[in-house]
Amino acid sequence: MDPATEDLLRALAPQVLGAVVRRYGHFDTAEDAVQEALIAAATRWPDNGVPDNPRAWLVTVASRRLTDLLRGEQARRRREDTVAAQWVPPADVSTVDSDDTLILLFLCCHPALSPASQIALTLRAVGGLTTAEVARAFLVPEATMTRRITRAKQRIKESGLPFSLPPADQRASRQSAVLHVLYLIFNEGYASTAGQNLHRVELSTEAIRLTRVVHRLLPDDPEVAGLLALMLLTDARRPARTGTGGELVPMAEQDRRLWTVESIEEGVALLSGVLPRGEPGPYQIQAAIAAVHDEAPSADETDWPQIVALYELLMRLSDNPMVALNHAVAVAMLRGAGAGLTLVDALAADERVAADHRLPAVRAHLLEMSGDRAAAREAYLAAAARTVSRPQQRYLHARAARLG
Amino acid sequence: MKYMIMLYGSQQDYDVLAGRPTDKPPMTPDEVAAMHAYMGKLHEELAESGELVDGQGLTAPVHARRVQLRGGAPVVTDGPYAETQEVLAGFTIVDCASFDRATEIASKFINPDAPGEYVDVRPVFDSAADLDL
Repeated sequence: MDPATEDLLRALAPQVLGAVVRRYGHFDTAEDAVQEALIAAATRWPDNGVPDNPRAWLVTVASRRLTDLLRGEQARRRREDTVAAQWVPPADVSTVDSDDTLILLFLCCHPALSPASQIALTLRAVGGLTTAEVARAFLVPEATMTRRITRAKQRIKESGLPFSLPPADQRASRQSAVLHVLYLIFNEGYASTAGQNLHRVELSTEAIRLTRVVHRLLPDDPEVAGLLALMLLTDARRPARTGTGGELVPMAEQDRRLWTVESIEEGVALLSGVLPRGEPGPYQIQAAIAAVHDEAPSADETDWPQIVALYELLMRLSDNPMVALNHAVAVAMLRGAGAGLTLVDALAADERVAADHRLPAVRAHLLEMSGDRAAAREAYLAAAARTVSRPQQRYLHARAARLG
Repeated sequence: MKYMIMLYGSQQDYDVLAGRPTDKPPMTPDEVAAMHAYMGKLHEELAESGELVDGQGLTAPVHARRVQLRGGAPVVTDGPYAETQEVLAGFTIVDCASFDRATEIASKFINPDAPGEYVDVRPVFDSAADLDL
């Protein structure tokens, strides 16, 4: 299938699912029917050409498939027991005109689902990826992913969630859940937690694509713009983040000429549009930090006072030990390794981060900066023992070996 | 006077229309096209004579929801019909001079090649006052 057709199918996937669910209900079965329609299109369109109205074609094929699937289900159920289910009236009927893609995102990122399920369902129902593709991206067997998605849909069905936007009083918290899922998808692609390769580019790309969709739907939301900016400004560094052998290159040592200028410009422009509104949320602040890095000609010439100040702002918004760890690094760059190490050691008592490889990794870097080679080496090895990412293990072992 | 002409069908009849094999022979695409053309023309004629109020077809019975109240709260049964059950499949409401004229119109809705096919015609209440009858 050519990329244009694939893009078209992926863009239409949530619209088609939205149209079918609005008309016939049955989110769980409709989602399967839409997947089959997408597969049918992927098989037929390259030979027969794209229909005049591809969306209508997909809706028709998906509706037919839904009819068949429902007949099978109902026949099965009739043999057992017909149950009348409690009907939950839509919580907010004023939103009938809102975009189905947004409704689907809220549904897939519902807090009743585990983060792993939210991610999988979002990628399939909103992103239009097949189960096999989602499974590949997360390095799990397809059967595992099928079960995960089926369970997630079952959960949504049982919870009787209406196909509508969340009520006004839940809107903010549900929206931050959506943004968090997109952020997790991006991070999983950018800093893979498992496996051979450091990046799984397709996940980062997909997260950026979906966040662009959300930004288009909610253009005035500063945190959506902030998240998109954060992704672009981070992804801009990807070409320099791995060396020729696929090894991890820390930001201080990256060849900044490899950074993607277009992404930096777009991210900075997005950020410049929302920051002046004041009281920036966590994604805007993180994007601002990334922008300061991206605009610095070298690590030494980075505006470290600005970065320290931004991390302190971020720490006031959320009690996140990873933020505190990054703050410690910035403090070390500004005031010296000793000042950073004091902050890192204070974090060691925090059990949320105590077992994470990043704590000893940061300690190792700061010890190396301070000239304590033996302690640095030990800390690098301790960090390597705690990560399951192969590239990170290789990187940490290489750093330790250099000090050997 | 308004009358509702009601057309019936089972899930199997929908399959026949969709050209899907069942106990009955499926309709060919040409037959389906001819039927649609015929129904279209029939409704156009009714519109021209000023007798058409509305005409609609219903989707497959499998998509039906039955809504009831239990303890005052609505409960829903999805797909309440058995596959073989004949249910309302479409209707046309006409506004014409008499029950006999409505019956004449209704007779045109029956496929002469389908033995046993029938439609029902029922007079519609004109106003709330009729309800006192």
